[in-house]
Parts: sequence; structure tokens; C-alpha cells
Amino acid sequence: MAELLASGGSMEMVRAAFDNGADAVYVGATGWSRRRAQYEMDDAAIVEAARYARSAGRILRVAFNTLPASSEVPLFLARTDGLYAAGVRDFILTDPGLMMALKNRHPDTILHASVGCTIINIQDALFYKEAGASQVVAECRMGRTTMRRIKAEAGVGLEVLVHATTCYTLLGRCTMSSYTKHGHRVDASGKDHFPGSPNRGGLCYRICLTAWDQVGANGEIEASGVELPNRAYFLAEDIPYLIDHGVDTIKIQGREYSVPLVGRMVRFYRELIDACVRDRAGFRMDPWRERMDRIVADRDAERREKTAGLISESLDR
Amino acid sequence: MCLGSPYCLRVAGNYAKALDLLPGVVSRLHAAGKRAYVATPAVPREADLPHVGRLVDAAAAAGADALEIHNMGVLRIVREKGRPVPAHMGAYANVYTHLAAAVMRDAGAVRVRPNAEVSLEEMAILAREAGVEVEVLVHGKIPLGVTDRCFLLTEPEETDPKCPSACGEVHWLTSRQWVLKTVGKGVLSGRDMCLLEHLPRLVADGFRVFRVEGLYETAAYRSEIGAAYREALGRAFAGGGYALEDRWADAVKRHAPRGLCNGYLFGTAGREYVGTVLQDANPEV
Repeated sequence: MAELLASGGSMEMVRAAFDNGADAVYVGATGWSRRRAQYEMDDAAIVEAARYARSAGRILRVAFNTLPASSEVPLFLARTDGLYAAGVRDFILTDPGLMMALKNRHPDTILHASVGCTIINIQDALFYKEAGASQVVAECRMGRTTMRRIKAEAGVGLEVLVHATTCYTLLGRCTMSSYTKHGHRVDASGKDHFPGSPNRGGLCYRICLTAWDQVGANGEIEASGVELPNRAYFLAEDIPYLIDHGVDTIKIQGREYSVPLVGRMVRFYRELIDACVRDRAGFRMDPWRERMDRIVADRDAERREKTAGLISESLDR
Repeated sequence: MCLGSPYCLRVAGNYAKALDLLPGVVSRLHAAGKRAYVATPAVPREADLPHVGRLVDAAAAAGADALEIHNMGVLRIVREKGRPVPAHMGAYANVYTHLAAAVMRDAGAVRVRPNAEVSLEEMAILAREAGVEVEVLVHGKIPLGVTDRCFLLTEPEETDPKCPSACGEVHWLTSRQWVLKTVGKGVLSGRDMCLLEHLPRLVADGFRVFRVEGLYETAAYRSEIGAAYREALGRAFAGGGYALEDRWADAVKRHAPRGLCNGYLFGTAGREYVGTVLQDANPEV
């Protein structure tokens, strides 16, 4: 039975996600996830969120999915030790070295390989399994054949993002943002922050989403106002297929969206999944489309506003 | 010399695709006293894995000295084949920590090229702790992003008449003061990485592997920039005073129409330039 996993960008969002039917929620430890600190949580909040999850019989997963500096490894081990002592067992990671270190240190942790691992083929899935992951997130454009193969042969769980974005490049293999602006500050707890680098846990300025000119060798404009496509998608058609093929986790990304919108997305997917499971043969997509279109329109409006803010932030000196 | 393009197997004459060319080119390089490395695809989908297997076998049979690897699945394939060729982890392998480098070392990597965002200070830790060589990009366009859909085509790549010529031409992407270079399935910096002023520091820090990125550049670029760095490195290793010769500065400026950068290595934005001699080599768009 597929688990519905949703984003928790704040304690309020964590509650909204669980209350609307998520089986699991993921949060980011401050400085350690692919978002800015505003959408992350400190240890006290994480422990409170974990308590809330446990009381509802659900799971809280904590993302430490940045690619940090080598000097931050002791910080990572200390922080995960603390959360482990407080009862957290589920972590999301990207760096295969951190994965092995955490798994060796606490063998009963459950580690998932993040979307930042850019898992595109079965050998990738096996590599991260051997690094300690029991589940891997499929790269956003992974096709059905590869998904089926991973499920059939890799012996590792598979997680599919149904609400996320397909970056212009490959998510996890892009540093366009930090080429334009890249900061470095250390917070009060001694944790580095790198605004401008999504890999390093800062934020992405989404410079791909501004207007570009394509220019030839001699300076001639080949095309102006070109878009570098980076689309936010909302998969619903694929849900029956994912359930049929035993995908382990269906994931809603969205810590940076408003709490009410995330709540609506979670409720939509909860109801759709339940309807599909209850009566697979009789399931039809049409009755869901109007509601889905309204959610997508509101999501697009929030995303546009956020993106405009990020691009002007990247231009600030 | 690194043979082949990791971006797209359809690049004309790509050694990563035309495996029958490998024995000849590898033996010519060896005869000239050079080492020959072969690039592997940075974004191999499931359907590409059989070719990757054949590429590994062909590189081994040709006597290649290493494979440049960007994808963890490819590293695993090499390991499963009994490591017939050493692995060099490439720009897209996301090596940031010494722990990750050690995992890759255990799978067969002897060298890593840290991700572009990793500073010189951080690279030194990697070099000290990971038990692998660390490769530093000293000159050339920085790989910023990779994908598997060609930006320069409007039709599927199998039928678009612009393939494979489109990525052989120069195409910039400009927006305000930002300039990038598109090579179809990759995005490179518009400015050239340039560490010419900082070579003595690299030597003092213990780095011994230096890359000039010649992919998608002209033969003149490779030979003139290569010659400048060969001479400059010789000077840096000799010790004593180090000052830029005009001919080196002229060569790098002549071949960098969009300017120079090295910010990532000093912990700032990739497009910034840190230095005292070449900082005026940056045009603003």
C-alpha cells in the first residue's frame, strides 16, 4: 500500500498535512535541507513534530539532504545523534558518505536517498542501497520502464514525486543559481548556510525562470525572451499506475507553499488514492479534474510570486 | 587527455560513442608519453546502460588509463566488472565531502573532481582525508548543469536536422549581466574559470592535478591556453618569484570573450573574479 508523504515547512504545515491525511511528513533540519532556513525546523520543533506524528500513528522523516562541507561532518553526527536520542529514526540524505556514516552509527535508522541523488537508472538505485538507503526517490522524469525494473530487481523502495518541478537541468546536477549569487554565513549554532546553492542548503534563485536571449558566436540574437523550461507539475493520471506497480511512497513536495494550499493538495491526493484503492476497476480521472485545475492554478500563482522574489533577490548586491 | 563528451552520445566523433576509435587514439597518446582517459555519459538512462557496459569494456581493452565518471550507476558498473580501469569522478559526480569521496574510492575511484561549488579550502580537506587525488579546474568554462534533452533542438534529436551540428556552434544565453554557454544538454559558465594568478597557492596547498577544460573550445584555445599553463605551472613549481607573463595574460584574455571568473574557489558566486592582475578582464553585458 503506497504511503502518502507530504512536505512540512513549519509546525503548522506538519499538522495540516497529517490532519488532511498524509501517512508521513518530511521536514528539513535548519541548514541541512535544500531550502532556506525559513522553511526548516530546529531540533525542538522537529521533536514536537515527531511527537505529533507518533501520536497519530504516522511517520516523520527528517531531511539532512544537503551536500555539506567536509568540516561539517561532526556537526551532522552530533545533530543526528540528538534527534536519534529523541526517537527520530527516519532520515532523508543525499551524500553517500553521510549515509554510510549514519547507518553504521545507528543501524536501526531508516534512510531514504533524496531527489538530490538524481537516481535515473537501476544501477544508481543499487549504489544508494549499498550506501545504506532502503528507499530511493526517482528523478522527476524517470520513465515507467525504469520504475518497473527498480521495483522488480533492485530490492529497494521506490518513491515518486507527484507534485514537484522538473528543473531546466537535472535536479541535483545544477549550480546555475550559485554561479550568479552565493553567500556563506554561519548561524548561532555553528552551522554553515550557503544562500544561492540548493545543493548546499541555501535556496535556488531560479535564474532559469527569467527571460534569456540566445546569442550566436558573433553576438547575433538567435532568439529573445527565451524560457529555460522549469515546470511545476501535478501528476494525478499516474496515481493508479503507481499504486498498481507497488510504488512505496507517493510524495508531495512543497515546503515553500502556503499551509492552506499544501493542506488542499494533501486532501486531494488522499481522497484520490483512497478512491482508487477502494474501487480500482471503477476508478475514473474525470470527476477529479476540476478540483485539480483549481489547485494547480493557485499553486501556479504562488509559485510565480515566489520566483519573482527569488530572481530579484539574486540581483541584489 | 580526456577523450569524449559526457554530455551527449550524438556529438560528432564522440569517443564515448565511437568505441572502435579508442584503440588508435589511446595508443597514439601513449606513444607521445601522454595518459588517456575516456569520458562516460553524465546522464545515462536505463536504455543507455548496455552501451555504458560496452564502453567500459572497450576502454579497458584499448588500455585507457582511467574513465571519467559522473553518474554513480556507471561507477557501480565499473566496480561490478572488477574495476578493469581506474575511475576519475567528474564534475557532475557531486563530490563535496571526504566521506563521499571515500565511498567512491572504495568503489574504484582514484581521483575526484569536486563539484564546482567546493572552495579551495574545502578541497584541501578532501585531498588530506579522502585518500584520492583531487583534480582542480584551473581554466575553462565551468560545468553548471546537465540534462538529457537538447535545448538547441526543436524536434526529437533523432530527426532534427540541426543535430549534431547545433552544439558544435557557439551559443550564449544572456540575461542582464549574466552570461551562460549552452552546449545543448549542458550549461556552462559564460566566463572562463581562471586560476593563473593563484597557481603558487595551489602548489603550496599540495594540489598536483590541474585541468584545462577544452570541451567545446577551439584547437587554438586548447593549445594556447595549455601552453600558457604549462609554462606558468613550471614557474610556480620552481618556487621563487611568480609574476604573470604578458603572453599568458594575453592568451587567457584573448580566448575569453565573456571574461574570467574563479569565485567558487574563494567561497563566493561562481561568476566573481578574485585576483589583482586579471580582474579588469571582465566585460559587463
